[in-house]
Amino acid sequence: MSNLAQLLQASGASIEADGDFDSVNALMMEKGWGDGLPVVPPTEARVAAMLEYCDRPWDQPVAKIPPRWGEATPLRLAANAVMAGCEPRYFPLYLLAIEAMCEEPLNLYGVQATTHLCAPLVIVNGPVTKELGLNSGHNAFGPGNRANATIGRAIRLALLNIGGAIPALGDMSTFGSPAKYSYLVAENEDESPWEPLHVERGLPREASAVTVIGAECPHNINDHESLDGEGLLTTIAGTMAVSGSNDIYYKAQPLVIMGPEHARTIAAAYSKDEAKRFLQQHATLPVAKLSRDNIERRVKVTWKDRLPDPKPDDVLYAVQRPEDLLIAVIGGAGKHSAFVPTFGATLPVTRALKTEDGRLAKSVEDFRRR
Amino acid sequence: MNQKIRLVVPEAPSPQSVDTTETRAVAKGGIRLGVLDNSKGNADHLLKFIVDGVKALLPVASVVSLRKDSVSLPAPAEILDRLAAESDYVITAMAD
Repeated sequence: MSNLAQLLQASGASIEADGDFDSVNALMMEKGWGDGLPVVPPTEARVAAMLEYCDRPWDQPVAKIPPRWGEATPLRLAANAVMAGCEPRYFPLYLLAIEAMCEEPLNLYGVQATTHLCAPLVIVNGPVTKELGLNSGHNAFGPGNRANATIGRAIRLALLNIGGAIPALGDMSTFGSPAKYSYLVAENEDESPWEPLHVERGLPREASAVTVIGAECPHNINDHESLDGEGLLTTIAGTMAVSGSNDIYYKAQPLVIMGPEHARTIAAAYSKDEAKRFLQQHATLPVAKLSRDNIERRVKVTWKDRLPDPKPDDVLYAVQRPEDLLIAVIGGAGKHSAFVPTFGATLPVTRALKTEDGRLAKSVEDFRRR
Repeated sequence: MNQKIRLVVPEAPSPQSVDTTETRAVAKGGIRLGVLDNSKGNADHLLKFIVDGVKALLPVASVVSLRKDSVSLPAPAEILDRLAAESDYVITAMAD
């Protein structure tokens, strides 16, 4: 059904409130509907405008979000998107990201509920990045861009309000993370010397797509001195393998973010596949760097086939196979790259933006109701 | 006097939970106990205490203990199938 007035007649679909901004925000806080920051009141008119960009039935779930397994209907998602400050034309990309992160390989239940500090990172590729004005360059993970900030925030609000990832109730993260406010970025395809992430993951270049990763925050890799690809890759590999990382204990698929300057230097001598092979082989950690108990209780369990009797000089890998490593080019000028470790028990999911009839969308305007 | 407005509720209710409590008679030869260790640190110790506690209270005919490799992912079908085939009751545990 896509008649908003009728949908809001249903029990629990709407609530009456005093109309001023402060009263609305006080009510939302009291109900526990938010991330702690003030929200835009999800009025019927604003939600209706958001849903103009939704070609699905507004009351039918597009996903169930764990750990509560709440039904993510376009109506509820639109309310969260309004609260986050999204423009209505962002809605198709937002809905796509929610659908992608609820696919089984991502293990969103684990990502949401774990004591680890991970959050779903969304990397956007394709024409939609320019259409919506997403930031893929300088400060791409930082503040200052409405699309990055508010789509990422709308995702978090849905994870809280629909999924029930309430701190200390459904989300048991020891520390939480700044990435749990907003964690969405675009790949800097114009500055990349290689094929973009979504193409590498099997989609046509003209597709708009999201890749979702159950990820930690980026860890910076500073290398201003290396003058060739081997040197830069050696520095990156040295940052990837550390003893407290979940990726050491799981068959993980972490992400290397290359700044455009590093990427150009590396690409002068390495294809993307060759760079992955180098990093897989060199991002290693000697068993001696782990505690005796971790060797007994983790290494001997996870890697029992390869290392049934681990010796101090045996090595652990940050990624088990070159194809398990993701590489994306993001950011602006500067001799930096970044490593994004993962939750470990999670696999990335890539999904293309398609209209309800299964066609690749050329524009978010394809979703606009006529 | 503030003007009243209508807001769309952003929250999804919790799905209705189902009461799965069941009372069963203990089999004559004792119960067949299954144990699923989720591989969390100390889950094995916690489960051992629980199994010992059950044995002190009830006749236990057999115990099958299995461990899944991933803390966070569901147990694979072969583990679940074996527990279903060889157990009347299964205890699992989480720990950190």
